[in-house]
Amino acid sequence: MKIMLNGQEREAREGETILEMCRREGIPIPTFCYYQAFGGQGACRMCMVELREEGQEQTRLVAACTYPIKSSVEIITESERIQRLRRTIVMLLARRAPDNPLMEALARTYSSPRLTAIEVEPPNCILCGLCIHACEEMGRTAIWSMFRGIDKRIGTPYDEASEDCIGCAACARICPTQAINLEEEGSTRRIWNKTFELVACQRCGKNYTTREELEYLWERTEYGKEKLCESCRKKTLAINMKSFQQ
Amino acid sequence: MWKELLMSMGGRAMQASINVNSNDRQTVLVCCGTGCTANGGREVFKTFETLLKDHAEIELLPVIKATGCNGWCEKGPLVRLLPRDITYCSVAPEDVSEIIDKTLIEGILIKRLLYRDPVSKEYLSSHHQTDFYRKQHKIALRNIGEIDPGQIDDYIEREGYQALKKALQEMSGQGIINIVQAAGLRGRGGGGFPTGRKWQACKNASGEEKFIICNGDEGDPGAFMDRSILEGDPHTIIEGMILGAYAVGASRGYVYVRDEYDLAVQNLGQAINDARQRGYLGNRILGSDLTFDIEIVRGGGAFVCGEETALIASIEGRTGEPHDKYVFPTEKGLWGMPTVINNVETWANVPVIVLHGAEPFARIGTKNSKGTKVFSLVGKVVNTGLVEVPMGTTLREVIYEIGGGLLKKRSFKAVQTGGPSGGCIPASLLDLPIDFDSLTEAGSMMGSGGLIVMDDHTCMVEVARYYTNFLAGESCGKCTPCREGLRAQLEILNRICDGEGTIEDLDLLEDISVTMQEASLCALGRTAPNPVLSTLRYFREEYLTHIEERRCPAGVCRALTTFYIDPVKCTGCQVCKKHCSVNAIQGEKKEVHVIDESICIRCGECYRQCAFDAVKLRQEELR
Repeated sequence: MKIMLNGQEREAREGETILEMCRREGIPIPTFCYYQAFGGQGACRMCMVELREEGQEQTRLVAACTYPIKSSVEIITESERIQRLRRTIVMLLARRAPDNPLMEALARTYSSPRLTAIEVEPPNCILCGLCIHACEEMGRTAIWSMFRGIDKRIGTPYDEASEDCIGCAACARICPTQAINLEEEGSTRRIWNKTFELVACQRCGKNYTTREELEYLWERTEYGKEKLCESCRKKTLAINMKSFQQ
Repeated sequence: MWKELLMSMGGRAMQASINVNSNDRQTVLVCCGTGCTANGGREVFKTFETLLKDHAEIELLPVIKATGCNGWCEKGPLVRLLPRDITYCSVAPEDVSEIIDKTLIEGILIKRLLYRDPVSKEYLSSHHQTDFYRKQHKIALRNIGEIDPGQIDDYIEREGYQALKKALQEMSGQGIINIVQAAGLRGRGGGGFPTGRKWQACKNASGEEKFIICNGDEGDPGAFMDRSILEGDPHTIIEGMILGAYAVGASRGYVYVRDEYDLAVQNLGQAINDARQRGYLGNRILGSDLTFDIEIVRGGGAFVCGEETALIASIEGRTGEPHDKYVFPTEKGLWGMPTVINNVETWANVPVIVLHGAEPFARIGTKNSKGTKVFSLVGKVVNTGLVEVPMGTTLREVIYEIGGGLLKKRSFKAVQTGGPSGGCIPASLLDLPIDFDSLTEAGSMMGSGGLIVMDDHTCMVEVARYYTNFLAGESCGKCTPCREGLRAQLEILNRICDGEGTIEDLDLLEDISVTMQEASLCALGRTAPNPVLSTLRYFREEYLTHIEERRCPAGVCRALTTFYIDPVKCTGCQVCKKHCSVNAIQGEKKEVHVIDESICIRCGECYRQCAFDAVKLRQEELR
């Protein structure tokens, strides 16, 4: 399907989102709440682009991460209107994570004015929702958003240690502002008010995951029963491959 | 013609009820709508039941019915007596025996319970003669107050389920869509999307199953039109939905009712059961090929669930958060299937349009907004209540002619339309004909039809702050512009009301508003800056007075207000003194009173209570 992207004709696949197409075409669009594995949520609104549908004179703003391309549309990814909007969004979001390097860099890029910081819980959380999705994709749903409106925040039920949390830390790793507190000391990991015993890699001895996560993976997948950290797993695999080839 | 038609409809129904009851059997209709129930309507109803039992001398005991809301809540509890069409206002249980003895038995009117026209000073025997009702056109509310919502036969007597019979016998699904489209019916829930077009899109969409949803998640402060219809005439919703299902090919329907509406759930639940028993719902409806049934879903208590994608998520058992509507629910809605969602009031119009055709409906209203609209008229107006008027009626007619003008003859300042994310319309636009497009142009919106009248004691900055605060708590918080935008706006408005605002704050308010309008995910966020923008547009000088002079001209913002008593005007009547909750007012009877500013908490009660205009606002700049 032929569409116009920033004044040039491009090929789009029917049903793919504007963001997917732009990423493929190498056109940069800033996002907070999008992750390739889960698709778009349409929550942060950083990825808004101008869109002109067939027969329309005016453009309208749509979220690139959720708008599916279904007809020959015209897309503009950079304009004064979009710049202004991103400037305001960064201005508003940066208050939640004022000292975060990512937010500081974006504030410079879009010359966003600095507003007074606000206290949020957990500190630096910009409520992009990626952690919730990561947890949900793990099949656990230990964290979710609580309350609504300006009181909305993310946490475990009643802020207590959640039975569903296996300490995998997928939430902490995906967080763009490193807002989720992940403490590791010796052979323990603490996250979301819950303490886990870490399991050591049988090859290199590094503490690499929690017992709960390992058991969860064993139960659900064909994952080998060896206790191997990520790099040792790769190395072992490579050795096995070699012996297989010989 | 339409008026005649309605009159004849009402006339026929009345005729029918007389025939059924035979020998001019008297009927007592006690309003048990929400407003009247709060004022003791149920007790009045029960007193009638108890007392009438003791009147063995009456040969044919009157029929007593508890009806839905008559709309004239200001004068409730209302008691109406048929066939003479007598309306008694503000009836207390103690009045019941007098009504029975004098009016029902002897046929004498009780003057003190009649409505007295404030201008002509005449006593009016029927509510139909009052300005409040004469100027109304009832379509969606046609049965409410006339029938017992618990009796399916009451509804059937007034042309109930006739549209369904006509449709199943004579019309195709497409035929219904054509009529609804030709009638020009637009969604009454706020968006104003053409209903026929929505139905057509759903009919054209392919899906294993299709769904019909009635949106009864009414949440605007001061709005109760959906509640009244669900409570007072549930069968019209059911009939409307069956017609919709037949039109688009749906097999299941859901009514999403706000959780707080207990009576609505109860009445609607009974109506659904009764309709099933009569064969209007279920398999092969009235012997046709149509199979359709309705289920009630109680809302989760979030304002945002009135947004259709959030409502769908809520029915599916997910968090009530909206998502982008680049694919409409008519294509991918409930459980991914084509779904039609319409508001309660929209559904209530459908049976009338299908039965009487598009033309009588399309003749009412303006070019692009047809039919009537129900408004809940509240605030500082004499006659508060529910009114249904043709589209295109001016705000002045609604507020001054139907509403009877402002309370205490104060001067009009603004009317807030369209719920919390509507806007405030100033006196200069009072002659604006109300329709979907005119209100949007004026920077407000139709919304679900709230009309909140404000007088000159209202601070418009505080009004904007109030609604922004409401929305900040009711936004779902998913998207950045709505959540963070409302937070920032609320902080700024709080600052201005506290006398700490700056001129730059106004630019910031506008900048944030634009981003909210353009980038928010759903209609709640996109319209959320309306209270701020409309007050900035029409009442900017009030913002400037707060910021530059540090003064609240309406005497509402406490940090910016001081009151004093004008010794020339004070009569020493002691009303202000009695109303002062902190005893800050000193003064003997018939002597000039004085406010002790060190004790005064600036609540403004004395200012509002003084009948002699003696309590004044200090006008000079503070500090």
